[in-house]
Amino acid sequence: MKSVIKTCLLSLFIVNSMAAENSIGDKTVLNEPEAGSVSTQQGLDSWSRVYEVASHPRCANCHVGNSPYPMWSGPSFTKTQRHGMNINAGASRMGVEYIMCSTCHTGSNSEADHGAPGVKDAWRLAPVEADWFGKSSVEICQQLRDPKRNGNRTYQEIASHLGHDVILHWAWNPGGEREPAPYSLQEHMDDIMLWGVAGMPCPDDINSNLNDGVSYE
Amino acid sequence: MEINVNGEAHEVDVEDDMPLLWVLRDELNLTGTKYGCGIAQCGACTIHMDGLAVRPCQLKASEAKGRQITTIEGLGTPDALNAVQAAWIEHQVAQCGYCQSGQIMSAASFLKFKPNPTDEEIDYAMSANLCRCGTYPRIREAVKTAAAKLRGEV
Repeated sequence: MKSVIKTCLLSLFIVNSMAAENSIGDKTVLNEPEAGSVSTQQGLDSWSRVYEVASHPRCANCHVGNSPYPMWSGPSFTKTQRHGMNINAGASRMGVEYIMCSTCHTGSNSEADHGAPGVKDAWRLAPVEADWFGKSSVEICQQLRDPKRNGNRTYQEIASHLGHDVILHWAWNPGGEREPAPYSLQEHMDDIMLWGVAGMPCPDDINSNLNDGVSYE
Repeated sequence: MEINVNGEAHEVDVEDDMPLLWVLRDELNLTGTKYGCGIAQCGACTIHMDGLAVRPCQLKASEAKGRQITTIEGLGTPDALNAVQAAWIEHQVAQCGYCQSGQIMSAASFLKFKPNPTDEEIDYAMSANLCRCGTYPRIREAVKTAAAKLRGEV
């Protein structure tokens, strides 16, 4: 417990002392820590929180990789299953081939139990490369730091994209009885930045280095 | 507010957040569009907004401003049936009939994108429209016939 509190306080200190702050909207800012100010371990701590978000049903249910099937999982469901009604989002990722996601997922967010969530953006599956559902922390981490699989984005661009993309904001404000993604959008962006400044470390990096007999912070 | 339904402009005095389905049924008396579940799980209320299928139980009235709304009453007329409506009669699809206007509106929207669908594609497209009577085999056949009509083959 002490180490958790220490980590949180450390993160707060780091975030509060960010060297640069760029507003990217009226609600979130891109906090850039100073180069070299975040240790690998601190970066890994940030990553573990990022993974909590990425693997949460509010995010992972639509990050289904090659599958055209959105998922239903999490506390609102008794079991993990494919989206009901035989929904298939197709290669378009937005259901153009069969029934468009926007048929039910409109600009209004239903507050009713199992009502259709909606945002003022096109409801759709995440890109195929962003394959998170059921994936481990290591697998998602390696995806996110790989330009070939993260939309050729730097960590700053990943964090900035989170601030700009309205459909993602729904995860922290899903309405009704839906469980929101952990932390907050701003905290999540800050964790991405901390992880990035630390060199985008992934949990298996440590194992790899230990196996090589290399000392790693 | 003014909304356009079936090619006509209507002035309605409603709250912005009234479900569009209420506006259609209770304000404009277009009761061909049915209320089923109210949470976009059954498809009974399906209409078209700018030509695409939507569930008006999930839409606020204000979201219809400036859009072209089409209900089952505007898809075709008894004298000039839409191809999907004609196929529905040909195959005698309806049993109790409650879900059928939503089924027809979904099929009409789907066929704009898939002029020659397979059985599997029809099943994917129509599975979000529930039929308690289980008329699914007739729905599938009617969609295929409607597609052939729209392609000018029958």
